[in-house]
Amino acid sequence: MIFRVRSPQDFGAGILFMLVGLAGVYFGRDLTYGSAMRMGPGFFPMWLSWIIVGMGAFIAFRGLTIDGDAVEMPQWRPVIGVIGSIIAFGLLIETLGTPITIIILTFLAAFARPNPDLKETAILAVALAIFAVVAFIYGLGQPLPLWWEF
Amino acid sequence: MDIFSNLATGFGAAVSLQNLFFCLIGCFLGTLIGVLPGIGPIPAIAMLLPITFGLDPLSSLIMLGGIYYGAAYGGSTTSILVNMPGEASSIVTCIDGHQMAKQGRAGPALAVSALGSFFAGTVGTIFVAGFGPMLSNFAQQFNSPDYFSLMVLGLTTAVILAHGSVVKAVAVILVGLLLGLVGTDVNSGTTRYTFGVSDIWDGIDFLPVVIGMFGVVEIIKNLEGKEYLKAPITAKLSSIWPTKQDFKDSWRAVLRGTAVGSILGILPGGGAVLASFASYTVEKKVAKDPSRFGKGAIEGVAGPESANNSASQTSFIPLLTLGLPSNAVMALMMGAMMIQGIQPGSAVMTSRPDLFWGMVASMWIGNAMLVILNLPLLPMWVKMLSVPYRLLYPAILMFCVIGVYANNNNATQMVIVAVFTVFGYALARLGCEPAPMILGFLLGPLMEENLRRSLVLSRGDPMIFFQRPISLTLLIMTACVVLLIVLPSFRKTREVAFQEE
Repeated sequence: MIFRVRSPQDFGAGILFMLVGLAGVYFGRDLTYGSAMRMGPGFFPMWLSWIIVGMGAFIAFRGLTIDGDAVEMPQWRPVIGVIGSIIAFGLLIETLGTPITIIILTFLAAFARPNPDLKETAILAVALAIFAVVAFIYGLGQPLPLWWEF
Repeated sequence: MDIFSNLATGFGAAVSLQNLFFCLIGCFLGTLIGVLPGIGPIPAIAMLLPITFGLDPLSSLIMLGGIYYGAAYGGSTTSILVNMPGEASSIVTCIDGHQMAKQGRAGPALAVSALGSFFAGTVGTIFVAGFGPMLSNFAQQFNSPDYFSLMVLGLTTAVILAHGSVVKAVAVILVGLLLGLVGTDVNSGTTRYTFGVSDIWDGIDFLPVVIGMFGVVEIIKNLEGKEYLKAPITAKLSSIWPTKQDFKDSWRAVLRGTAVGSILGILPGGGAVLASFASYTVEKKVAKDPSRFGKGAIEGVAGPESANNSASQTSFIPLLTLGLPSNAVMALMMGAMMIQGIQPGSAVMTSRPDLFWGMVASMWIGNAMLVILNLPLLPMWVKMLSVPYRLLYPAILMFCVIGVYANNNNATQMVIVAVFTVFGYALARLGCEPAPMILGFLLGPLMEENLRRSLVLSRGDPMIFFQRPISLTLLIMTACVVLLIVLPSFRKTREVAFQEE
């Protein structure tokens, strides 16, 4: 008997849940389980993790038996562009300060879509940087660093 | 019944110049973000959460309430004008609302929806004021096993309302519960699943999780759908005021919608989505000529819009009295309250009556402000729709990251945002609705604690959940809900209900 994935979405989701559940079991292996009467820190996580594994297995199995939707491939450009700008913000904010980081963020974010207009992006970047400084630092008094610190 | 003296306390607490100001700002910002196409109330609230953190608890909750109503209303505006529902509860509004807009009657549709929402909000507020204390008194009899069963019921009902597959929704909730346990175990002091990262010793912060899963994922999804990058959306708005005939056609729908919404909102797991779908069905059933629906029937806007607003109010009841968030928006409210150091539940009403009643009063104030703010500002909101998305999304992204960073000045939070963006994106690609996860995430520690206490009480015997009358009743209700989900005929109606998308 040959297995065929009939519903890639279900099958993928099932595998994802199984992985999450197994991670819960594996990384929680050293937590004290205790007993029902005196639940240790590992009691609830262990139960949850195994139930998640079970649900995942069920969903994956269903993906093999019932027809369903295909998984649409991610478009890497928006995914990488957007996540990249978030990481860049985290890496740079403390060394470069708010306005410069926002300008970099805007440019990186612009490349999350094809053919960004650089001039327009530059104007937007400066506008957002000014807005961030005026609204967040001066207006709301948020503790963001203004300039760079080396 | 001393509702009136209580409400007086509430208005006394809420009506300070400062609170009114924050309520107004909240409504304004909520509408501003909510009106942007492709941003529903959940991402809108998530994005605006951080700006409320610096305020004192009452002002912050009042502002948050304002944001919530504003975002919901802004969402309906967008659904009517451009047929792009930002959230499930606006899907129904799209059906007839957008048809009305096509016929050049967007103004009346928006006005009826605002006025209906205001009326429904008023009734909903009275419901909260009336039922809140009753339920809160009742909740005082709740013990650990009862709370545990209540959460089981709440999470189970939340499953029905998730889109798509029921099993997947259950799995998503369970993953949320597990993620909620990350951090230091309160009882033993052991750290769990922290991988030595000290930033998550106190648990994963709520804000980066919701910003990643709802805010950032939304941006990526919008960028993938190319239609947002095309020409800006132009919507026409002629006269705002409804005709006499419109009023005549819609007032009954408003009343029915309000009633349906108020009741469905109280149910754990209920809320705006259920209410608007139910109300639309009711309107179609009672209409003399059901064929008008889907072609711009004003009742199809008035009913569901009123219903989702009254349900938005009354869904505060389980949160404020039982500490049970019935949907993702309420989970956000709960998260915000916890950040302010308030554990929602029956204790709030007794220990901080000013807070409870102040919030109730502010609900009404928020609704009133929306009508005052939105009808005259409609042309401006319509203009907002013509800002191209390529200019909007970097700004939205900036709001997201600055909000998270400013919350505790910790750049590692960005990693958490990124991780949950990837996770939320993967869930979306695999056909899982991510919203229920947030319920589990918040309830995880509470469920564990109540389970632990129950089992200590019973010396490890799980039968305790069936021996206490309240807990047993709740579990029987849960069983009924499960049965409903499994029953084939109900499954069909549920599928049909969500198909109107």
